[in-house]
Amino acid sequence: MFMLDLFTWWYGSGWAGVLGATKRRLAGLAEAFSTKTLLHTLFAPWRRIITYPGASIDAKLRAFGDNLVSRCVGFTVRFFVLLAAAISFIVLCGIGFAELIVWPLLPLLALALIVKGLL
Amino acid sequence: METLDFTNPRARHARLGKSIGQSGYFIMLCVAIAGLVGGGALALVHVHYGYSLIGVGLLALMPAIWWRYELSNVPPTDNTFMGRLSYDGLRLFKPGQPYSPATLWGAISRDPQALFFTNHLLLHPNDLEKCFSADSTALQPVLDTATHIADGYGSRTIEISHITAALLQTSPVVTELLTHMKLTPADVQAVSDWCQRLFEAVHAKPQNFGGIGRDWASGFTPRLNQFGHNISEAIERHGAHFGALVDSPGVHDMKMAFSQGAGALALIGPDGIGKTSHAFALAQNVLAEAQDPALQHKQIIELDATAIISAARQPGQLEFILTSLLNEAAHAGNIILFMDDAQLFFHGGPGSFDATQILLPAVQGRAVPIVFAMTPHDYQTLRANNMALAGLLTPVMLRERPESEVLEIVADSASQFEGRHHLLITYAAIKTAYTLSGRYETDTAYPGKAIRLLEQSLTHANNHVVVPESVEAAIEQTRGVKAGTAAPVEAADLLQLEDRIHQRMINQKRAVEVVANALRRARAGVSNPKRPIGSFLFLGPTGVGKTELAKAIAATYFGSEANMIRLDMSEYQQEGDVSRILSDGQHETKSLILSVRQQPFSVVLLDEIEKAHPNILNLLLQMLDEGMLTDTGGRTVSFKDCIVIATSNAGADSIRAHIERGEELEQFESSFVDELINGGQFRPELINRFDEVVLFRPLKPDELAQVVRLMLAEVNKTLASQNIAVELTDAAISRIVEAGNDPRLGARPMRRALQRAVENTVAGKILRQEAKPGDHITLDATDLSI
Repeated sequence: MFMLDLFTWWYGSGWAGVLGATKRRLAGLAEAFSTKTLLHTLFAPWRRIITYPGASIDAKLRAFGDNLVSRCVGFTVRFFVLLAAAISFIVLCGIGFAELIVWPLLPLLALALIVKGLL
Repeated sequence: METLDFTNPRARHARLGKSIGQSGYFIMLCVAIAGLVGGGALALVHVHYGYSLIGVGLLALMPAIWWRYELSNVPPTDNTFMGRLSYDGLRLFKPGQPYSPATLWGAISRDPQALFFTNHLLLHPNDLEKCFSADSTALQPVLDTATHIADGYGSRTIEISHITAALLQTSPVVTELLTHMKLTPADVQAVSDWCQRLFEAVHAKPQNFGGIGRDWASGFTPRLNQFGHNISEAIERHGAHFGALVDSPGVHDMKMAFSQGAGALALIGPDGIGKTSHAFALAQNVLAEAQDPALQHKQIIELDATAIISAARQPGQLEFILTSLLNEAAHAGNIILFMDDAQLFFHGGPGSFDATQILLPAVQGRAVPIVFAMTPHDYQTLRANNMALAGLLTPVMLRERPESEVLEIVADSASQFEGRHHLLITYAAIKTAYTLSGRYETDTAYPGKAIRLLEQSLTHANNHVVVPESVEAAIEQTRGVKAGTAAPVEAADLLQLEDRIHQRMINQKRAVEVVANALRRARAGVSNPKRPIGSFLFLGPTGVGKTELAKAIAATYFGSEANMIRLDMSEYQQEGDVSRILSDGQHETKSLILSVRQQPFSVVLLDEIEKAHPNILNLLLQMLDEGMLTDTGGRTVSFKDCIVIATSNAGADSIRAHIERGEELEQFESSFVDELINGGQFRPELINRFDEVVLFRPLKPDELAQVVRLMLAEVNKTLASQNIAVELTDAAISRIVEAGNDPRLGARPMRRALQRAVENTVAGKILRQEAKPGDHITLDATDLSI
């Protein structure tokens, strides 16, 4: 009964659950990396470190330069975080796909390995 | 009709999951890891058995995964009772046994969720077992009710708590038992709601509030971190416990106001209503679900006025700090400032400073959203003193929540007290805290006052259990009030109230009986709790014991004659005298309101009531009707703990005439009151407001003799310090009565006569050294110098 119940679950709701678990992991990943917020603010200055322009042309140019640097820093940090998120996304997708494929084969694989070792 | 089949796969899996348990899971996991790692290592060095070990490891991994994702929680499958019964429920029941309400209770009664009910309702699980039917056909209504309760909570699973609530609600015997304990089925429902809220809080999944990059587009806030408290961050770190408050009308109004472009809000509510909690609830709401750009990802920071003031050591530094904080918040772009006790920022004085000139431009320019929390009184003061700033604030009024919601909030606070102090707070104690704080804490609002009273009750816990008596003990200690229903010893005192009063009052049996009955009714809780404990109009000639009875009541009921507030109403004959009654202390330093506020548990004696101005009598109507008056500052003062006694000599001659005709008081009481109303001496609405109109009869000579004996006892108390006792012969007493008796003045001249007769005589003997310590002096009529 134990084995029957185990295999019934394994090839039933257990296998279906792998897909759901992968979806949840991907959603959690997007949340944890704040992907939506980072995309919206990709070119925003880093932590609002900005210089307010003065009246003269010189001051305006200097402020423009400072703020450009801040935006570059912001872009760089966000870009690399988004890149890390994208890589993690691909890795998780790969793991999820592999799980889906390996899952139904696992019992057979286990039995095959036991037999191979004994022979 | 549904049968409880505990042989189905879900129930089987639940039992299997229970028997494997957490330890079984770890063993399987260890075997799996050992097999995979060990087998892999052996396979690498070409040992053939290594493959078998990997296979064994994989085989061990499969049941471990099964336990982790299925057996340890057994998710619901369908909409039947058995398909929805929770994992905890499934694993408790044994298969192959017919179930009835009684056996159902037997199976779940030791589960923590069932114990939550029995503990908080003070029901003993074994006693309850006898309350449930052993008939299996009676089970279906229980299952239906449990399903209905789970549906009501939006719960996919049917938990033990739902079954417990259903069992308690469907058993007529339990209802009877609850009634005996002064509880109702509604209380079972309330405990069920409480249990559900706790269950949801414990099983809540950790929330993600925006991820690592959420605040990267906002500025740094080093100074705000120094002088403020980031409420949003605290909620993120430690979780949130604001329950229904998160979606309350107050939070909704604040969100709406900011969404519609408000720059600053005045969060207005009386002390105790939960202004700070509303700010926390707003922070939680914004973190969890705000989609509006005006609120999304906003952090609420509470400014600490004390920290700001204590950091400013030089003139102008205070202004500099506050300005820099406002600038920093504005620059950061994701800050809502919260100023609790906002009056600290509006008035100069100890512990506060006037920052209106700094705040005004910030609010005008909408540089940073600000929430100012203040009481209605502070808001009015701000409007009066600085209309420019007050006019810029969008007012959000917090109103007291309905009783059911207040009780929920108090119960949730009780859970925190229980965890912190390792004790149990019964639901009856929570209800008592609600009732008594409403009655005795009129200066603050719900839920704060009920929570504070409950916290004070913790020190009165009996065997780590807080019961209604603990709450009563707390209010009795803090307010000096007899809040509980009469305890056995006190009940005896109350039953002998007449005897105790008669120890110091001669005759007036009818008056004493009427008053004692009214006080017993009040103490036993059968009179209207929204009015004073008792209200009496004492009518009768001078010197017959009206004031003495008032003093006796103060001494007997409140423990001391000092618990009497006495007003001579002949001093309140002008219209302007109303302010002397209602003064809040700003202009008049003495008033009835101030006296009652200082000493709420008192006899309020209004002498010669008929002489007061009609406007003052109108106030008296309100006092007797609603049990409260409002002072000139707008604060209410409760008279619900007072005994109000008004005295009058009106109709004294008529009483004397009736008595002289040989009539008893009971015979002419009613017609006498009619006479007073018809004669225009009292308005009928005033007479009707009193619980009792009490008539006093003139004293007879033999009663006056008893008065003399009582007064002599007082003289002997004074002489006790010199160890001298005085005794009067009957002839001496008759002589004093004869000298002091004046039908118009009653017993009043008797004290003077006694002073002249006894005290002067004894004083002479002491000075002439005819009396010395240890002497017992007996005075006859001839010894008295009258």
